[in-house]
Amino acid sequence: MPDLSPTLQDGSRIAVIGGGPAGSMFSYFLLNMADAVALDVSVDMFEPRRFCHRGPAGCNHCGGVVSESLVQRLATEGIILPEDVVQRGIESYTLHMDVGDVEIATPLMEKRIAAIYRGNGPRHSEPLDTESFDGFLLQKAQEKGANVIRRLVTDMSREGERMRVRCADEFCDDYDLVVLATGVNSRLMEVLEDQAQEFTRPERTKTFICEFRIGRDVIKKHFGPSMHVFLLDIPRLEFAALIPKGDYVTLCLLGDDIDDDLMRQFFDSPEVANCFPGGIIPSHVCHCFPRINIKAAQPAYGERVVMIGDSGATRLFKDGIGAAYRTAKAAAKTAVFHGIDADSFKTHYAPLCRKIHNDNKMGKVVFGFGSLVQKARFARRGVLRMTANEQKQVSAPRRMSGVLWDLFSGSASYTDVFLRTLHPVYIGSLLWNLMVSNLPGNAATKNPVAGVECDRAKH
Amino acid sequence: MANLGKQYQDGEVIVRQDDTGNCMFVIQKGEVEAVIETDGRKLRLRKMGANEFFGEMALFEKETRTCTIRAIGPTHVLTIDKKNFLKGIHEDPSLAFRIVKTMSHRIRDLTDRLAKYEEDRP
Amino acid sequence: MPNTKARTTTPVEQSFWTYAQQMEKLPPCQAQCPNSGDARGWLGIIAQHEKIGLTLEQAYDKAWEKLTELNPLPATIGRICPHPCEDLCTRRDKDGPVSINAMERFLGDWGISRSLSLPVADLGKHTESVGVIGSGPASLSFAYQMARRGYRVTIYERHELPGGMLRQAIPDYRLPREVLDAEIQRLFDMDVQLVRDMDIGADIEIDELRKRHTLIFLGLGAQAGRDIGIPGEKGPGVIPGIEYLRQRKQGRESQTGTRVAVIGGGNTAIDAARTARREGAQVTLLYRRSQVEMPAAIREVEDALKEGVQMTFLVAPTRIIREGTSVRAIEIQEMRLGEPDDQGRCRPVPVPDQFRRLNVDTVIVAVSQAPDWHGMEPIRDGHKWLHTEEDGKLEDSIWAGGDDRGPGIASQAIAQGRLAAEAAHAELRGIPHPKQNLQRRAVVKDSVKTDFYAERQRVCSPRRAQEDWLCNPHLEIDQTIGSDQAELEAARCMSCGLCFDCQQCFMYCNAGGFTRIEESQSGKFFVLALDACEGCGKCIEVCPCSYLELRDSD
Repeated sequence: MPDLSPTLQDGSRIAVIGGGPAGSMFSYFLLNMADAVALDVSVDMFEPRRFCHRGPAGCNHCGGVVSESLVQRLATEGIILPEDVVQRGIESYTLHMDVGDVEIATPLMEKRIAAIYRGNGPRHSEPLDTESFDGFLLQKAQEKGANVIRRLVTDMSREGERMRVRCADEFCDDYDLVVLATGVNSRLMEVLEDQAQEFTRPERTKTFICEFRIGRDVIKKHFGPSMHVFLLDIPRLEFAALIPKGDYVTLCLLGDDIDDDLMRQFFDSPEVANCFPGGIIPSHVCHCFPRINIKAAQPAYGERVVMIGDSGATRLFKDGIGAAYRTAKAAAKTAVFHGIDADSFKTHYAPLCRKIHNDNKMGKVVFGFGSLVQKARFARRGVLRMTANEQKQVSAPRRMSGVLWDLFSGSASYTDVFLRTLHPVYIGSLLWNLMVSNLPGNAATKNPVAGVECDRAKH
Repeated sequence: MANLGKQYQDGEVIVRQDDTGNCMFVIQKGEVEAVIETDGRKLRLRKMGANEFFGEMALFEKETRTCTIRAIGPTHVLTIDKKNFLKGIHEDPSLAFRIVKTMSHRIRDLTDRLAKYEEDRP
Repeated sequence: MPNTKARTTTPVEQSFWTYAQQMEKLPPCQAQCPNSGDARGWLGIIAQHEKIGLTLEQAYDKAWEKLTELNPLPATIGRICPHPCEDLCTRRDKDGPVSINAMERFLGDWGISRSLSLPVADLGKHTESVGVIGSGPASLSFAYQMARRGYRVTIYERHELPGGMLRQAIPDYRLPREVLDAEIQRLFDMDVQLVRDMDIGADIEIDELRKRHTLIFLGLGAQAGRDIGIPGEKGPGVIPGIEYLRQRKQGRESQTGTRVAVIGGGNTAIDAARTARREGAQVTLLYRRSQVEMPAAIREVEDALKEGVQMTFLVAPTRIIREGTSVRAIEIQEMRLGEPDDQGRCRPVPVPDQFRRLNVDTVIVAVSQAPDWHGMEPIRDGHKWLHTEEDGKLEDSIWAGGDDRGPGIASQAIAQGRLAAEAAHAELRGIPHPKQNLQRRAVVKDSVKTDFYAERQRVCSPRRAQEDWLCNPHLEIDQTIGSDQAELEAARCMSCGLCFDCQQCFMYCNAGGFTRIEESQSGKFFVLALDACEGCGKCIEVCPCSYLELRDSD
C-alpha cells in the first residue's frame, strides 16, 4: 500500500461510482494521463446496469444530443462516435411557433450534431444495429484499463485516511480517491448529504422525456435531419424539442418542474400536433421524468472525493454531456498532476465549476429573454422574420440564427450568447424586424416558412 | 445508422493545395490520400484512415494548404473549426497533446524519407 | 399519481404508462413442492440475516421454525425427498439449482442438535379430542398441526414403534433410526399420546374410536404388497417388497438367498434391491418398462447401479419355477412399449414367444401396494383408495391423508395431513376455511433476471466414498453440509417473486418513491408510495426478482 500522501502514487486505487459519460470519460482520461507520466494506478468503476438493455432500465435519461462543440472535442481527443452509436446526424434546427416555422441550418452543410441513445433505445425497440452511447464510452474506458464492477454502491464513509465504498450486497472496499459520477437521479447523493454536514447536493428540477415510434422512413421524410424546437406560450416550459433518431423521435421538455398538466398543455398545442405526420400525436412507448441539476453541489469536492458530471456542476438545461466531459477531464487532470486532497481540487477543479455556475447565471438571463419571447406574440413575429431573412441570404452574418443555434445546441457558453445579443447591430436589426413584422398587413398572415419543405426532401 | 460530418465521393477533393483554410479535419469513416502536386508531378505523401486528422497546420498558422487531400472511396470527414479548437486549448491545453504527438511522428517520418532521398541522389 | 378516469382524451392518456406495484409472487420451488414448502422464505432468513439483525445461529433457529410450521420432519424429508422443488429452481439453468434438499437436511439436523421445540400456533387449549390411526408421515403431520393448535391428540399405532413407512420400510442407509426417533419424539413432546401395539379391528373397533374422539384421522398408508398373480408365486422364497424391508429393519433372521430377483421399478423395489445387495446377494431387478420410465428417484436408481444391482428392462415375470417348495428360477417374457395409456405412460406389450429364464432362489415382489383395510369395514366404500374431498374429509368427523388416498412421496402425505388438520380446525372453530397460499400469482417463467446474480458454485451434500458403501451397509451415504456451506448456499437463492434488498428500486427511482421500512423483516425492506409513481417503469425493469410489476388497472 502506498504512503497516504495527498497525491496519486504507483498502486493508488481510484473508485468511480457511476458508469455514465462522466464516469467513463474520467476513467478514460485519467488512465490516459497516468500512462503518459508512467503512473501505475487502478480504476474500479461501479456500474451495476447494462446499457445494452432497452427502455429505462438501461438508460440514463436525457434528450440524447451531443453538441457540435463536444463532437469536435471528442474527435480531437481521438474518440470518434461510431455509426451505430449515432442514430442520426443533425444538420439544422426547425423552430416552430404559432406565428410560423423557420429552419436554421449550419453554414457548413455537414452533420455535426449527433443524436444518440443513452441506453439502447426505448422499451420495445427492435434489437437492430443500435449501440448505446453510454455503453460505447464505458467500453472505451475498459479498453484503457478500467475495471467495471457490477455492484450497486449504497454508502460511503471515511476509514482512516482512505474512503470506504459499500455496496448493496455488503461488499466493501477502500480507495485512495472516490469519484462520484452517479448523476442526480440516484439516491446516493441524498444518502451522502444526510451524512456530511458540509455537503449540499445539487438542486434539481423535473423534466419529461418520451419516445414516439414513427418509423425510419417517415421520420426522414417528415422530420429530416433537423431538430424541432418549440417556443410556446406555456408558463414554466423553457425548452421543448423533438429529436429524430432511427425509428423513434425523442421528445424533451425542460423547464420548472414539468408535470402532467404542463405536458398535457404541450400536447394540446396545434404547433406540436402539426409537426407529426397527419397532425396526430401517436402514443408514446417509453417515458420518464428525470431530474436535472439546476444548481451545482456545494462544494463539488472533498478530501479524496470529487463530484463530476451532473453530480457536481453542469450547464443549465443544455449540453450536459459536454459539461460532463469538461468536469471529468478537469478532475482527472487535478488528480494526476496536482493532488487528491480537498485543497488540490479547490485550487484546480473548483474554478471550472465556478465558471460553469457563473455561466449558468447568464443562462438564466438568456432563458428569461426567451420566456419573454414565448409570452409576447409580437416578439415571436420579430424573431421569426429576422431569422427567416438571415437564412435566405447565404453570406449575411447570422446574428439571430447564431444566437438561437447556440442556445438550442449548447454549442457556446451562455455568456457568449448574451454578449452577442448586446451587439448594436443585433439589437438594431431585431428592433427593425419587430416593427416590420407587426405592421397591420404583415401581422395578419402567418409569415412564410423559410426553405423548410423543399430542403428536407434533399436529405 | 448514421455518420457525422460531410460525405465525399471517391476522388473528390476535400482540401486543395494552396487554398486558404482555417479548419482541421478528422476522418470519421473511409480513407484519404495526401498528395503534393508540383510542375505536373505528383508526390504521394501518405494515406490516412478513420480517426486520423489532417489540415491541422491551419489551426496554428495562416499559411495556405500544403497539399491536396482526396477521398479514396466514400468517406465521411468532420470539420474542426479553428475558433472551437483554440477555445478548447485555452480551457484545456492537453487537448493539443494528441495533435502534437502526431505532428512529431510525421516530422520523424518526413525526416527519414528526406535523408533516404538525399542518400539515393546520384 | 391517482389512476382516475376523469381526464381529457388527448393522445397522451392512451399512452403507455407503466405504474408499478410491489407484489409477492409464488416461486417455482413452492409451486412444485407437494407441501407448498416456503424454501424462499426460510433461505431468505439465512441469506438476509445481517440485514434483519440476526446472528447466523439465530437465523438458523428462525429458519428452522419457519420450515417446521409446515413440515415437522425436516431431517427426515431432507434425506428421502426426491426434491421436485429443485427441478424447477430458477437458478437451475445458470449455475445449478439451489440445494434446497441439502439445506432442509442441514436445518433438520440443526434442530435436532439444538433440541429446538416445534413452534406452537395457538397457546389456547381446546376441549375437542382427536384420534389418529397410524403414525406415518400423514398421521404425524395431522397430529402435529392439531396439537400445535391446542387439541388433545391420541395416535393409535399397530406396530411397536411409530413412523409408518418411514420406520418400517425405508432402509437405515437412507434414514438412520436415531434421526427418525429424534424427530418423532419431539412431536410427542407436544403432549400427543401414543398408544402402541393397538390394532384397529382386533384390539378396538373403529366405532369405539369415533365415540371416544370428536374426530378421527385415517393414516393407514398402503402397507399391503400386492401379488402379481403368476403361477408359482405362492410359497416360501417369494416375498412382498414392503414385508421384506420390514423384516430387515426389524433385524429378523434373514431368509434371503444368494440370487435375488426384484420385480418392480419404484422406490420400494430399489430399496429392496439395495438392501438385498447389502446382504451379499447377487441382485437382478426386473422392470416391465424402460429405465427412463421408472417411478423411482433417479438418484436412487443410479446409486443402485453403482452398488452392483443388475437391471433388466422391458421384461415381465410369467411364472416362478420351483423344485419342491424352493424357488429355482423365474421365467420372464420380453416386452415392448406400446400405446400410451390415459396418463401418458406407454403400455408394455408382451412380445410373443420371447421367453427367458433367470436362475434365482428368492423373488421380491414390489410392484404395487394397497391399504390394509382390516378393521376398516364400517367405513369402506369399495374403492381401491379412500376417496375424500380435496381437503381430506372422508365423511362427517372422519378425515384421511397419505398413501391410503393414493401412492405418493412423503411430502405429499405430510401436505395432506396438514391440509386436513387446517380444514378440520376451521370447521371445529367455525372460522372460514383457510385458503391455500397458492392463490398468489406465480412468478412468470423467465421473468427473473438471472444475469443480475453473480455466479456462485453450488454446494452439494458430501458423499462417502463409493467403495465403502457396501462395506458399511448401514451407514448413511450422503452427509450433512456444514454451517459455512449452508450460509453460502442460502445466498444462492434468487428470491424469485419476493424482495431481497438489492436496493436498486430505491436507488434508481427518479421520483424517490421508495422508502426503507424501519424494522425490516426478511422479504420486506421497502415500501412504494403509489402516488409518487411517475409511471416510467424503470423499477420494474431493474428489479431482478420480479417482485415489482405493472400495476393492475382499475
